[in-house]
Amino acid sequence: MGAPLADGADLAGAEGVTLPEHVRRNRAEWTRWAPEYAEWAPRAWGREDFTWGVWGVPERELRVFPELLEGLDVAELGCGTAYVSAWLARHGAHPVGVDVTPAQLDTARAMQERFGLEFPLVEASAESVPLSDASFDLVVSEYGASIWADPYRWVPEAARLLRPGGLLVFLVNGTLAVLCLRDEEVPPGPELRRPYFGMHRFEWPEDDSVEFHLGYGDWIRLLGECGCEVLDLVELQAPEEGEPHAYPALPERWWARRWPSEEIWKARKL
Amino acid sequence: MWQLPEDELQILGDVAGKDVLELGCGAAQWSILLAGRGARVVALDNSARQLEHARAAMAVAGLDFPLVHSGAESVPLPDGSFDIVFADHGANRFADPYLWVPEAARLLRPGGLLAFSGSTPFEELCWSSEDDRMTTSLQRDYFGLHRLEQPDGYVQFELPYGEWIRLFRRSGLAVEGLREIQPPVGAVSTYRTEEETAWARRWPMEQIWRARKA
Repeated sequence: MGAPLADGADLAGAEGVTLPEHVRRNRAEWTRWAPEYAEWAPRAWGREDFTWGVWGVPERELRVFPELLEGLDVAELGCGTAYVSAWLARHGAHPVGVDVTPAQLDTARAMQERFGLEFPLVEASAESVPLSDASFDLVVSEYGASIWADPYRWVPEAARLLRPGGLLVFLVNGTLAVLCLRDEEVPPGPELRRPYFGMHRFEWPEDDSVEFHLGYGDWIRLLGECGCEVLDLVELQAPEEGEPHAYPALPERWWARRWPSEEIWKARKL
Repeated sequence: MWQLPEDELQILGDVAGKDVLELGCGAAQWSILLAGRGARVVALDNSARQLEHARAAMAVAGLDFPLVHSGAESVPLPDGSFDIVFADHGANRFADPYLWVPEAARLLRPGGLLAFSGSTPFEELCWSSEDDRMTTSLQRDYFGLHRLEQPDGYVQFELPYGEWIRLFRRSGLAVEGLREIQPPVGAVSTYRTEEETAWARRWPMEQIWRARKA
């Protein structure tokens, strides 16, 4: 296995370390949500095709990941139940799943046993990862650290973990969607409900979580400052037909046909 | 549009001794300024009338540099002959990006800078052509954003963010930055109403892309 742990890294993780307030709040919320995701995990782990986002756009159409996954060292930041890592592992990659919520990692471990697929799981915040510099070819976050950790802390960490030439790939809510979301658990309309300038930290009245979303220019600047070159921004359009998604506050299909409800950033460490 | 000083934004950097091409120079105010700072400027516009204004303004400024009558989609100048290609609400708004960006990339030397300021997807999406004003809701589709027919007959172009990024990269340009302009409190514009400036305090109405030839 690649991806050696940094010297003295404690796999048991966060005990004794004071986590920032937003990390503690998100860990508490994800502990509360974990049973629901545990129920869904076997289906996510069992999927043959990897698909992106709530509309299930297939990776084989988007080709965001490198064509050859065999042998790649991958860190998944905010892996949750680790189904992304599982898919990458089945294609020959060597993933390490990182998540700050023990309950989610418990599910990940149960799935590893059930599917007979082992890879390291590390309990840590993506803002401070106990893994060595320049030890990964790919860092991925799919609705993980990418929206639940502070980008000004996790992106430098991701860049630190990457080898030169390594890829950073992350999925986030679409910028326009974030600006249009309602405070209530109902899907957005076309109205812009909050300003773009100053986008960073978001709290919603329905729960205690803290999310982070940046504007386009800020993402490009941050990635550049972390020594990463922007390769692509894939703005996901909902397919014309298919099943509705299960998230009442996110845009419905009609909305996501017109405006991107999700976007994938792809950057390369120089 | 709010006349923010280049000295503050530092988009082009030091231009002294550099070969600079302006795409869609109009009356060449920018080119005259940069020539005054020691740049070797070539200014291009596809309007003969604008170039007459530019010639008059050059004479007043006591400067002389080449003016080229051409569109930005096909420029009669050799490959790799510029350190900076730029436009300020110029050809970038009125020429098709799928044609003018590769052309700008061709004209740049390795390491050269492409910089241009223009409108934003936000402005295009929130503009109500019916009411002829900015709104606070999305009026038109983002997917497919490209060619925008204006009511007064001319055509403008704007692309989704991801499309710009892919177009730069296909053209051999690395994305260097996207500066989204928020007018300062109390800013006034000769181009924009007070209501529009208030809108632009909340959402980007003007942006500057920077990309570098590999």
